[in-house]
Amino acid sequence: MNDIYILGIESSCDETSFSIVKNGIEEISTVISSQIDIHKKYGGVVPEIASRAHIKNITFVLEECLTKANLQMDDITAIAVTYGPGLIGSLLVGVECAKTLAFLYNKPLVPVHHISGHIYANNLVKRLEFPLIALVISGGHTELIYMEKDYSFKKLGETLDDAVGECYDKVAKVLELEYPGGPKIEKLASLGKPTYDLPIPLNDNSYNFSFSGLKSAVINLVHNEKQRGNVINKENLAVSFQEVVIKTLTKKTMRAISEYKVKNFILAGGVSANATIRKSFQELLEKEKINYTFPSIKYSTDNAAMIAASGYYAYLLGRRADLTLNAKATDELN
Amino acid sequence: MKIFYIDTSSSYLYAGIAQDNKLLAIVKKDFQKELSKYTLSEVAKLFKAVNLNPHDIDKIIVVNGPGSYTGIRIGMTFAKIYAWAFHIPITTISSLDAMALSVETSKLVVPVIDARRNYVYAGIYANNSLIFKNQYIKLSNLIKYLDSLNQDYVFVTNDLNLKLSNSKSYTPDILKIILSFKNKENINPHLVEPNYLKLTEAEENLKELANYDN
Repeated sequence: MNDIYILGIESSCDETSFSIVKNGIEEISTVISSQIDIHKKYGGVVPEIASRAHIKNITFVLEECLTKANLQMDDITAIAVTYGPGLIGSLLVGVECAKTLAFLYNKPLVPVHHISGHIYANNLVKRLEFPLIALVISGGHTELIYMEKDYSFKKLGETLDDAVGECYDKVAKVLELEYPGGPKIEKLASLGKPTYDLPIPLNDNSYNFSFSGLKSAVINLVHNEKQRGNVINKENLAVSFQEVVIKTLTKKTMRAISEYKVKNFILAGGVSANATIRKSFQELLEKEKINYTFPSIKYSTDNAAMIAASGYYAYLLGRRADLTLNAKATDELN
Repeated sequence: MKIFYIDTSSSYLYAGIAQDNKLLAIVKKDFQKELSKYTLSEVAKLFKAVNLNPHDIDKIIVVNGPGSYTGIRIGMTFAKIYAWAFHIPITTISSLDAMALSVETSKLVVPVIDARRNYVYAGIYANNSLIFKNQYIKLSNLIKYLDSLNQDYVFVTNDLNLKLSNSKSYTPDILKIILSFKNKENINPHLVEPNYLKLTEAEENLKELANYDN
């Protein structure tokens, strides 16, 4: 069989990224232009600013990706693009770019769901083994997914309110840490002790999560301590918070693994870059003799390599879009 | 010489292909909220209708704003990637320039696009040359300025909600636009960018805050 080269395009939030992946597993070249420094001064991603930066960067990033790969557009088998979910204005730039390339070079166009991309980031580390449980944790998502085979996604549960990454960022704001706050909380947490008592959210038998209660508990705690004239120990609060998050995530995940009798687990999404979360999962999984993969750190956050990897399996399954493909701010993974 | 034109700065798709002094094909269609969905397929149809390959085009003229932010980026992403991919010379023009060309009159021509909250994007043209640069301006200030000129003028707009009297609706004369701008200087495709004429709200707030601090 001929080698299949997928060009992946990702622009769902504040990263403009192109990547070429061979046969779904071998990354040939990836370029990511991050706008993090642009959005920092606004304390979060400003959608219109993100869209403007995408169109400004797009040909530079695409050209660099092809140059690094030493490939021409003619060498590409198909074009895979994130059509959603995400910021609509940002998504549209990537989708228009993908449609334009598909039209100009007469290539198949493959629509890819952003979350399936995060899942398949693991495929670039090691070929996925099924059946598996995937835990997706990012700034926009917290989901437990059961996969029997490629592109079969059964959602077991999800967050009912804030995503875990969103909760990290909001707690970071309360602690007056600079955006993006997640990595800074992790750093602080490594220096503290879990002295603060925080409630374990949605401690039930479902596979759903809830993080807005935890966030409110932190806000109230900080507020009350300030009223009493007490100084908050940020390190201790960070570790207390993170421990509750980890307890919630690992508890429901391990139960899903045991209930669905799977031997394989993967972690996905931006928050999976958190080393403490990784370590906690690693210990539990090894104890239970579960095979696991974590995405490489550089592909935990948004990138086009994962879109190309996921796009390869979508391509094999015959999933195609025509030139009327549209971006979707929200869409179910299927 | 074959020229491709595209304008997605409103809810309409305006596109055309001209060869020398003849228009080969055009599309003028209001897609409302679905411009992003249909632009590419309509463009593909356009090429098919005249049996041309995208490689056959010698120059691209793309409208780079002002207008709908999202709309502008649809046509511009296409034009930018197209010019970059096939090394086709490309130039950008203002939506207001294109609008001004649609009226034959000895009066001043004032193309106006609704920018919401009583603001508009506008320019003033006398005999097709710009006498008041394209800008984001309060509508009442624009009218005050126009009245101070003591010359007859006519608005060109498709934004009926602005309730402008002495206005004409806009339908582009695509051949005229192409012929007027076919010799405009080319731009490196990497540097082809929208001209929004306005900062984002977040940038404006930050600027205001900085001024306040000073």
